[in-house]
Amino acid sequence: MNNSLLELNARERAVALLDKDTAQELIGPFDNIISPHLIPQNIVPESDDGVIIMKGQLKHLNCVIISIEGSFQGGGIGEVGGAKIVSALEHTLLDNKNGEKVYPLIIFDTGGVRLQEANYGLLSISEIQNMIIELKQYVPVIGLIPGRVGSFGGMSITTALMSYIITTDKARIGLNGPEVIEQEAGAREFDSSDKNLIWNTLGAKQRKATGIVDEVIDDDVDAFRSTIAKTILEKKDSNRDQQVNFYLSLIETLDPAHMLTTQEYTNLYRHVSVHDHHLNSAIPSDYPTITSRGRHWFEQLTQIKNAHSDIPTVLHALVNGYEYISIVPDKNNNFPRVRHGEVGLKEGYTVANVINDLIDRDKDKKTKTPIVIIVDVPSQAYGYNEELVGIHMSLAASVSAYARARQAGHKIISFIPGDAVSGGFLAHGLQSNRLIALNDSSITIQAMSKESAARITNRSLQELEQATKNTPAMAYDIKNYQKLGSLFYLISNVKSYDSSDYAINIVKNAINSAISDLENKPTDLSFRYNNKIAKESGRVATNKIRLLMDKQWN
Amino acid sequence: MEKLYFKFTTTQPVTKFVHVGVVASGDLEIILRPNNHSYSTLNIITGSDGFKSTWSNVLSRFFDRYPLQGDFEINDFGATPGVVNLRLSQVMEVLKNEQ
Amino acid sequence: MTNKNHNWASQRDEKNLRMANATSIINNKFVRTENAKELLETLIQPNDRVVLEGDNQKQASFLSETLASVDCARIHDLHMIMSSVSRPEHLDIFENGIATKLDFSFAGPQSNRISKMISSGILKIGDIHTYLELYARLFVDLTPNVVLVAADKADKQGNLYTGYNTEETPVIIESAAFKNGIVIVQVSEIVDKLPRVDIPSDWVDIIIQSDKPYQLEPLFTRDPQNITELQILMGMMAIRGIYEKHHVQSVNHGIGFNTAAIELLLPTYGNQLGLKGKIVPYWEVNPTPTLIPAIENGWIKSIHSFGGEVGMEQYISARPDVFFVGKDGTMRSNRAYGQMAGQYALDMFVGSTLQIDKYGNSSTVTNGRLSGFGGAPNMGSNPTGRRHSSTAWQSLKPTDNPLAKGQKLVVQIVETYNSAKKPVFVEHLDAEKVQKEANLENVPIMIYSEDTTHIVTEEGIAYLYKTNSMTERQEAIEAIAGVTPLGLRSNAKKLNQLRNKGIVALPEDLKVNRLAAKRSLLAAKNMEDLVKWSKGLYNPPAKFRSWS
Repeated sequence: MNNSLLELNARERAVALLDKDTAQELIGPFDNIISPHLIPQNIVPESDDGVIIMKGQLKHLNCVIISIEGSFQGGGIGEVGGAKIVSALEHTLLDNKNGEKVYPLIIFDTGGVRLQEANYGLLSISEIQNMIIELKQYVPVIGLIPGRVGSFGGMSITTALMSYIITTDKARIGLNGPEVIEQEAGAREFDSSDKNLIWNTLGAKQRKATGIVDEVIDDDVDAFRSTIAKTILEKKDSNRDQQVNFYLSLIETLDPAHMLTTQEYTNLYRHVSVHDHHLNSAIPSDYPTITSRGRHWFEQLTQIKNAHSDIPTVLHALVNGYEYISIVPDKNNNFPRVRHGEVGLKEGYTVANVINDLIDRDKDKKTKTPIVIIVDVPSQAYGYNEELVGIHMSLAASVSAYARARQAGHKIISFIPGDAVSGGFLAHGLQSNRLIALNDSSITIQAMSKESAARITNRSLQELEQATKNTPAMAYDIKNYQKLGSLFYLISNVKSYDSSDYAINIVKNAINSAISDLENKPTDLSFRYNNKIAKESGRVATNKIRLLMDKQWN
Repeated sequence: MEKLYFKFTTTQPVTKFVHVGVVASGDLEIILRPNNHSYSTLNIITGSDGFKSTWSNVLSRFFDRYPLQGDFEINDFGATPGVVNLRLSQVMEVLKNEQ
Repeated sequence: MTNKNHNWASQRDEKNLRMANATSIINNKFVRTENAKELLETLIQPNDRVVLEGDNQKQASFLSETLASVDCARIHDLHMIMSSVSRPEHLDIFENGIATKLDFSFAGPQSNRISKMISSGILKIGDIHTYLELYARLFVDLTPNVVLVAADKADKQGNLYTGYNTEETPVIIESAAFKNGIVIVQVSEIVDKLPRVDIPSDWVDIIIQSDKPYQLEPLFTRDPQNITELQILMGMMAIRGIYEKHHVQSVNHGIGFNTAAIELLLPTYGNQLGLKGKIVPYWEVNPTPTLIPAIENGWIKSIHSFGGEVGMEQYISARPDVFFVGKDGTMRSNRAYGQMAGQYALDMFVGSTLQIDKYGNSSTVTNGRLSGFGGAPNMGSNPTGRRHSSTAWQSLKPTDNPLAKGQKLVVQIVETYNSAKKPVFVEHLDAEKVQKEANLENVPIMIYSEDTTHIVTEEGIAYLYKTNSMTERQEAIEAIAGVTPLGLRSNAKKLNQLRNKGIVALPEDLKVNRLAAKRSLLAAKNMEDLVKWSKGLYNPPAKFRSWS
């Protein structure tokens, strides 16, 4: 019990894992870079912004360890910490592409997005996820979860993208923290004061039994070092983000109305008979259904009236050379938590399924089909069964599919006529290389509902609204969001429910110009921090860190 | 949150950069950089408002005993004077080890 | 002389009359759960003295809820005697007009509300006691008319099993059963055969099965995960500068993280110092899980307990050499005997407090909170009636008086500032203000300066017993009071004088390295480590779960 990794702080954890005297910190406490967003909100910053980047050797293997400090602001990812991770991973990728093996490790101890910098957090996490997916083609990207905070929120999706996950029995993994589920869906859905329930559901042992983590080991530095070295040398990869058919088959056998016990779920998990899934294109029908901004624009852009799909919450169609895809409400869905258009277990995997099929079909083609993601996602699904099965894995599957499609050369445009919130947005929108939005005040774009964000950050709703009003980092509206520089284009004279030919043409033109803008451009997400607004105001800290990392890397 | 600034006349210039601590609940981090003055500066950001005189007392005692000279930056998330002292003595320890 | 016809059994007659009024709902001592309210309304009379069982852990919660619901037109002006006022309905009884006067020991969770009710005149305080005093008065001037207590099980004859959580049930029942009081017991279960008899049926008048088991809180459990480096530092100083120095053999640890840290340092730091077998083999203490590593490591010969601690049942059953365990395999706790042992048979008490004044008086009463005393003053005082000797006791004997005797070690461990950054060392205790507000005869001081022999802070140890004037005592306190207003009165010169006299010791004087005070020194760093040390026998309550 004496060589604990868990007991150490983030910096000590990184140093402890590396061979003696080989650790070298990049962009450390003396580089004078703190979050520019915390002090204006009266929050004490940390000199490393809660993310430690440490290069060194582990059993003589060149590694870079990214260690997140769970006790600073709950390990939340903001702009500075996020940019540190992204730029470190980028250099790691470059080195590996150049034939120099560097093994990336991420120590997760994080609640996900830092709510005080929510929009930066979401952007950063999607950029981190993009890097991990590309890196996996070269080296295993290993995740460690020693415990205390564990890995939650958007970063749980990131864990699901790792090649291999090693934890202690004090780790927890879940998309939505128990407090948030209780806030959004009530104590009957998830009683956040019931520690046994939490640990039995989200704890590492159950996660190991059902394929969400790979190894649960003793909380011992040497045990971690040996397990990591073995993972690297044996090039282990669980391909956790590509088990779409397995999970779609599993989900079909699950009764969403019944709260599964952990034992029931484990049994279900062990006896899945896997079969292939393919979702047919949406077809016109005579039956109007509940409308939404997402459905409205899917139907306008594809000209499919009353679009009907075999999976009622996921519409897709190939029209005039573009693949359109949207997640829509379904008021009678047997999963109650997706009835308003949230991204649930089935939605994430189904989107992944559609995109994977497209990647496969275009595999040998020189010109890849562009993808238009129509974004109207109020959130991810908040539910007990969802967490037990691992909804973060479903969202990771779609993140992975979109990222792999983009990296393979598919041009991906996200068109935002509706809400773009939280995990839903990460899974369905943020992996595109161009974002286009309507300038409509009904659009909410954020990491968490105001009610939950207020509860988690111990502020009143009023205080939260005051804090977010003029802070693009925490904006809930699209106009403020634009100030970050992440939008390619904000369409000013079309509203969310417009259906005139004029409006449709404006949107189509915007999509077309975004697609032509992508001609011969990088297939990554760099546009978001390389444009004029981002450089001048929206992502100043991001760019500063990227420069500094370039200087310090070698 | 409150920003505090202190200056103490000191006599023992440090030659190393030192960092200790974490901005965790009830804790703080200290960043120390060498300087060429004959005094130490302290820029403190603290999450607990209204403790300027307590800080002043803790720091006066410390610099009386150990007149380290350098520029200190402290990010504090509610550490008690006892914890502040402990972290300051850890700074001393790091300086000793690296000499 | 006395009248020939004087009735010398009037109290007995009165009791019999009351019992006769309730015969329709009593079936050979047993009363149905749904008749509880009617029973209390029949057996209790206005102005009665009623004892309601409720100590730190076990609460006669069914009976207290029932009493709070009786008709105040029938029952009023009760004089309640309660060792602990801990549940909301304990005070509802007063607010509902059922009772008016209260004698008690401890009011932790309700301390705020009780203050307010006193100042608004809803509640009149008889006195605030230590546990032992309150039990003692049950046999002198506070003999009860009715006692309401809790047991785990009863058999068909009415014998009681109180088992692990016997606590104060026997002493309360005895005070009524032999002085014409009515003994009413709530039981969680009625069985054919008890594991053992803790209280004979002869002493019991009424048994009611409660709607749910009595309330029980794991009050003494501290999760090692929350122990700080400063607590470890103070623990190391205490072990070197007090436990080792005075060869302490028997001890009581008050509740808290400071003492939990010491318990977890014994098998590590204590072993490094070679102290195993030399110090603290004997304990009077609740069976807190942080003792497990020291027990497993062979440090402890015997532990007697005031009460049980939730989750420790199986572990204790498997360690009958250490704990007081019945033939049935379950521990028997006893609060009254525990307090007696704590007062008379121990070398040392170690506790924490919320405020210490310039003289060394300490109190847990802070502004607006009348928390009472509990048992700490019994443990934390020098029993002048003590006559037996021990090495530690003798080590405090003044050398200049041929008739002098030894003294109990009474140790307070505090950080100079509390976690809300308020100074613990103060000019005046808040208790002085509370005395005026609550109209108390005495300032509610938990441990008096004259009884306090050592104070440990993160700065050092003050050996108060060595001071020979109040001025010197104050200087010793100031020297370890850090940058609190009191501490600022000290200076380097005074400090060094006190160090030279051995009245104050800094960590370096004790050869304690401040930077060695790391959490890695704890024998267990979290609850799961404790479970492992116990070989799976400790079963922590769910609220402490932090692993899968």
